[in-house]
Amino acid sequence: METLVGTILLFGVLLCAGFLMAGVLWSGMATGTLGLHYSLTGTNLFQFWLTNIRQLALGKWQPSLLVNLGIALLMMTPYVRVLVSTAYFAFAERNLKYTLFTGFVLAVLTYSLFLH
Amino acid sequence: MPSFGLTLLTSIVAGFVGAMSGMGGGVVLIPVLTFLGLPIKKAIAVSIISVIATSSGSASAYVRDHLTNLKVGMFLEMFTIVGALVGANVTVALSQRWLFLAFGLVLMASWSVLLVREKEEWEPLTEQDSFSRWLELKGRYPDQALGRTIDYQATHAAAGASLMLGAGFVAGLLGIGAGALKVLIHDLVMHLPPKVSTTTSNLIIGVTALAGTSVFLAHGLIDPGLAAPVILGVLGGSFLGTRLLVRLKNQAVRRFFLFVLAILGLQMIWRGWRGGL
Repeated sequence: METLVGTILLFGVLLCAGFLMAGVLWSGMATGTLGLHYSLTGTNLFQFWLTNIRQLALGKWQPSLLVNLGIALLMMTPYVRVLVSTAYFAFAERNLKYTLFTGFVLAVLTYSLFLH
Repeated sequence: MPSFGLTLLTSIVAGFVGAMSGMGGGVVLIPVLTFLGLPIKKAIAVSIISVIATSSGSASAYVRDHLTNLKVGMFLEMFTIVGALVGANVTVALSQRWLFLAFGLVLMASWSVLLVREKEEWEPLTEQDSFSRWLELKGRYPDQALGRTIDYQATHAAAGASLMLGAGFVAGLLGIGAGALKVLIHDLVMHLPPKVSTTTSNLIIGVTALAGTSVFLAHGLIDPGLAAPVILGVLGGSFLGTRLLVRLKNQAVRRFFLFVLAILGLQMIWRGWRGGL
C-alpha cells in the first residue's frame, strides 16, 4: 500500500512539473518570453480535463495546453491517491471501516471537483 | 500581474524559506505576491495549488519510507477536507481587508508556537482510548537515529478530528498547508511520534489543498500563467531548502527565517488594518 501511494504521488508531481516546464519552454522558444498570459473562466476539474482532451484530439498542441495538462495532472494526483486507497481497503485489505472513511473522502472530493 | 521571472524567483525563495522555517511556502508567497500587486484572493488560489505539489512531492518519499501512518492520515482527512471547503468558500466571500488580517494573525500564531515550543522527549503511550483503538490508530516506523523500529499508538482521535476541522478551515481560507497546526494536533493531542506527526501531516495537506483548489477553480481564481512559475519555483525552492536543512542542523538559521516570517505577518496585519492595501 505504502509503495503504491508513494509511487502515485511521485509520478503525479513529476508529470506535472514536466508538462509545466515543457509548456513554459515552448512558449519561450515560440514567443521569446517564458510567461503565458491567458485566463481560465470558472470551471471544474472534470470539465477542465474534457476541454484539454478535446484539444488534444483535435491536435491543437500549444504551450497553454501543456500548462493546463500540468495543472490538471497535479489536481488529479491526490484524487487518484484517495481512489486507489479506497479500492485497496475494499478489495485487498477488506477493511470496511477504512473503505467507508476513504470512500467518504472520495465522495466529498468528487462533489467539490464537480463544483461550478 | 508580476512578470514570469519575478514570480519564479519569488516562488523559489518562498519554497526555500518555507522549508527552512518549517512553515511551508505559502506563508512567504502570499504576502510577497500581494506586494507585487496581485489581489490577495488570486495569491491564495495560486498558493494552494502549489501546496498540492510540495506536499505530494515530500509525502511520496515519506510514505515509501514507512514513516507516514496512512490510517491516521485517512481518518483525519475526512475532517480537513470539509474544513477546507468551508474555508475556501469564506475566502471567496470575504473582503480583501479581512483576508489580510486573518492571514497576518494566523501567521503570527503559528510563528509563536514554532518559536516558543521546546522539543520534548517523546515517550510511547501505554494506554489508548477505546475510540482510537477501534480506529486501529497504531503503527511502527524505522528510526534511523536510534537504529531500531519504534512501536506507537495514537490517542484522543475524537478531539484530534474536531481540531483538524479547524486546521482544514485555515488551510482553505488562507491557501496554506497549515502544517504547523496539523503537526501540533498530532503531537500534543494525539501523541504521535514527531517524525510520524510531520510526515502524516504532509499526506493530509495534499488532499486538503485539493478541496480548497476546487473551490478557487470553480470561481475562476486560478491563473494558469501564474500557476506555472509558482508551482515550479516553490517545488524547486523547497527541494533546495530541505536538502540544506538536513546538512545545516543549525537552530540559528531556522530562527533567522522565523524572524523573516514574523515581519511578513506583522506587515500583513498592518495592511489589513489600513483596509487591505
